Parts: sequence; structure tokens; C-alpha cells
Amino acid sequence: MPETSTLEVTPVVAIPPHLVGQIQSKLAYVDEAIAAAQVAESGDRITLTLRSAGNAAEIEAKVQRVVQEMAQGSIAPRVEILEDHLARPVSYDADPLTELLARREVYEESTGIFTFGPLMSRLIEYFEGRFLQLAAHFEAQPYRFPTLMSAKFLDRVDYFKAFPHSLTFATHLREDLDIINEFAEKAKYEGHGLNSPAEFFSQIQALLSPAVCYHLYFSLADHPLPNGQLIATAVGNCFRYESNNLTSLERLWNFTMREVIFVGSKDFVLEKREQSRLFMQKIFEELGLAYQVETANDPFFVGEFRKQAAFQNAFQLKYEIRARLPFKDSTLAIGSYNYHQDFFGRHLDITLPDGKPIHTGCTAFGLERVAYAFLAQHGFDPARWPAAVREALP
Amino acid sequence: MEVLDPTLFAKVQPVLAAALKVTATDITSELQFGDLPQWDSMGHMEVMVSLEAQLGVEINADTITALTSVAAICEHLAQNGHA
Repeated sequence: MPETSTLEVTPVVAIPPHLVGQIQSKLAYVDEAIAAAQVAESGDRITLTLRSAGNAAEIEAKVQRVVQEMAQGSIAPRVEILEDHLARPVSYDADPLTELLARREVYEESTGIFTFGPLMSRLIEYFEGRFLQLAAHFEAQPYRFPTLMSAKFLDRVDYFKAFPHSLTFATHLREDLDIINEFAEKAKYEGHGLNSPAEFFSQIQALLSPAVCYHLYFSLADHPLPNGQLIATAVGNCFRYESNNLTSLERLWNFTMREVIFVGSKDFVLEKREQSRLFMQKIFEELGLAYQVETANDPFFVGEFRKQAAFQNAFQLKYEIRARLPFKDSTLAIGSYNYHQDFFGRHLDITLPDGKPIHTGCTAFGLERVAYAFLAQHGFDPARWPAAVREALP
Repeated sequence: MEVLDPTLFAKVQPVLAAALKVTATDITSELQFGDLPQWDSMGHMEVMVSLEAQLGVEINADTITALTSVAAICEHLAQNGHA
């Protein structure tokens, strides 16, 4: 067992209840020595587990900076619950991961990287089929997007400022015969990664996609939008590095999202977002899912958090679909209904016929999380599953 | 067109200009969120933080959504004893 130590920190600013989870998740990025971080629900104590004694004073100073930037003058969110179906009956109360691992239905290839066997794959395919009903309802046009995403375009939409902590970079060896030969001869996985020096690798031109819908907006950039509106659908691999928060199937480094994407005027996008929610309400009922829909914010990094989260909340730009996890008396976001205002229209110069920037929105479902939440609520015995799922799966 | 209290407008104009990194003349009495490229979502929160720091405006969901024009900001200040 590697040696660990504990560091107790008293925050310089009391952490309000609405920020306890948000600050706790950010502490993973403070220092590589931090193996785990726990913020007391009272907000007046932080417990860090360190991989080694490290420089405790330096780590504490960095922790205090995070707390100050996020909690000082924090703007309390206005939480609105649009749907509450959390009391819907469920028939299972254990963490399905234990059973999934025992059955070899999931295999953790590396931290946050899981492979899935037949049961999870069938469930995911079934749920995705249900989400495709939403796409069909809107006659959404199908699109296919690459797993890589252009760094140039991500820069244009200020992604690096908002979410630097969760980026996953794609690189390759530099075009240099000596470097390639030396890599081929000496590259080994040692400790926690490849032993090759950083200068062997190219400048970053691409990243692994953090979201699906961005690809559509990038493809529309610098042109007027033909007909002034578009509804598209696509599924794609998404990558968000979550450091120590990569636990269980709740947070994967690599996951898949099915999205239905709306581009057009403000009224068009808002109307479609609301229609999505109402349509999915019926589907989730058939799936027997216990969940609620509530206002939420994206996990902006420390410096941007206070302002961006407050703006997103105030204008109700994001509603999360949060499924109940009975085994831990908690909820897990399995999807969201999003409205970006004219952010992408402005940053990417996509215009409506009247010359104004387009508005965008999307409805997105995290497929692995949906399957995980379903098993957490209904377990492994198909006889106890809601009829719609039981009858559809072989 | 509603005429703004010139004293309040004179208070608001430099605050918004500094927050949005534009010249004072860009801040007109008719200006609203979205009219300038700088007054986008991030610019709006810069405006809110500046109004909080310099004129004591409380930032909450209501003020963030309501104070989206120079006229609305001046009216809010008038209602809150800045006249």
C-alpha cells in the first residue's frame, strides 16, 4: 500500500451549501499529491488525503485560493425543479457496479476507461433507440462526427478558459526520423505513463471531443444558416478528464452521448427544448425511471465559475435530468436540456437570414449513465424491469 | 423614448465602459445586452460584477436577468436610492 497522509484545512471563507460539491470536485485538480478531497457538509472543514506528505503549506495555500475564488461573494443559484418523479417505485437498492464487475459485464481497462459486455451494450442500444424516437419526432437530420476535435475551433468558443481542467489532448510523434526511431526503441509504460519525453510530441492541433454538438456548430461556422433553422442528431464519444473524481460508472473519462441539436432563432430553439422535455417525460415514464429535472450549471473551472455559473443559472440555460441512485440516496445527471443563447452564433459567425447570430440548444443523454441508473433502480432480474424494457430486450 | 436621469446615466456610463472595455461613447442610453459584441454572456457578468463593486448592486438571479440594458440599470439604481 502506498503511504498516505491527511491534511485538514479550515477554509478562509465559509463554503455555502450549494458550493460544497462543486468545490470538492475542483480540489482534485489543485495538486498531484491529492489522492482524495472531502468538504464537510457544514462547509467549514476540508480533509485532504495526500499521496505523500508533499508540501502541505503550498497545497493548503492553493486550496484556499480555490475556496476564495469560488466561495467569496458567491451568487446563490435559483433552483427550479421542473419535474419531480423521484418517488417513482424502484426495485433495487445496491450499487450495480459490484454485480457488473462480478459478471465481467464491465471491465475497467484503466482509470475512467471501461469496456461493456452484452447486458450493458443491449441496454445502451435500447435506450439510445428510445432517444432516437425524440430525434424522429423532430425529423432531425442525422450527422456523424469525428472523435477528434479541432483545437482552433475550441479556442474560438473560449473552451480553454471555461473547462481547462477536463481537456484531453491528442498528439503524435513529431515528424523526425530520430525521434520516431528512439521512441520505437525505448518507449515503455513505467509508473503511471509512457517514459517518453514531452519534446517528442507534436504541438496540440486536436483534442478528444468534450461534447457532440460543437462539431455541428463548427461545421456551420462563417456562413449564414440556410433556411434559418436546423435540427440534427448525432451520437459520439466524449472525453472529460475528472482526475480523482473518476469513480465507478458515474464519471467516465470516455463516454458516449446521443444528442438532438437545435439551431435557429431564439423562439425556435426554446420551443424545441421544451418540446424535448415534454416528449421525454413520457418515455422516462415507460422506462420506469425515478428522476427529476432541475436547473443546473456546467462545471466551469475555478476562475470562471462564479460568473459563468451564475449567468447560466439566472437565465435557466441548463436543465439536468437527474436519476435517483437508491443505493446511495443520491442522484446522477443522465442528460440535460440546454440553451446556449447566441453564444455559438456570435463566436462562430453563423447568422440567421436577417443577419443576426443564430441561437442554439441541445438535448443530450449520457448513454452509459442511463444504463447504470436503470440497473441501480431496477436491478438485474428482467422479471422486475418495467414492461417496456423487459419486452424489448432479448 | 424614455429619457434617463442624466445623473444616473453619468454614473453608469463609465462603469459599463470599463467593464466592457469600450469607450464611454459606446455606452448610449439605448444600449442593451447583445448590442455590442463585448456585451455577451461573459461581458454581462463583468457588468454585474462592476455594478456590484462600484455601485453596490446586489448580484442575484433576478438582477442578472433584469439588468440587461442601460435603461434597466438606471431604473434599478433609481429604485434603490441612487438618484
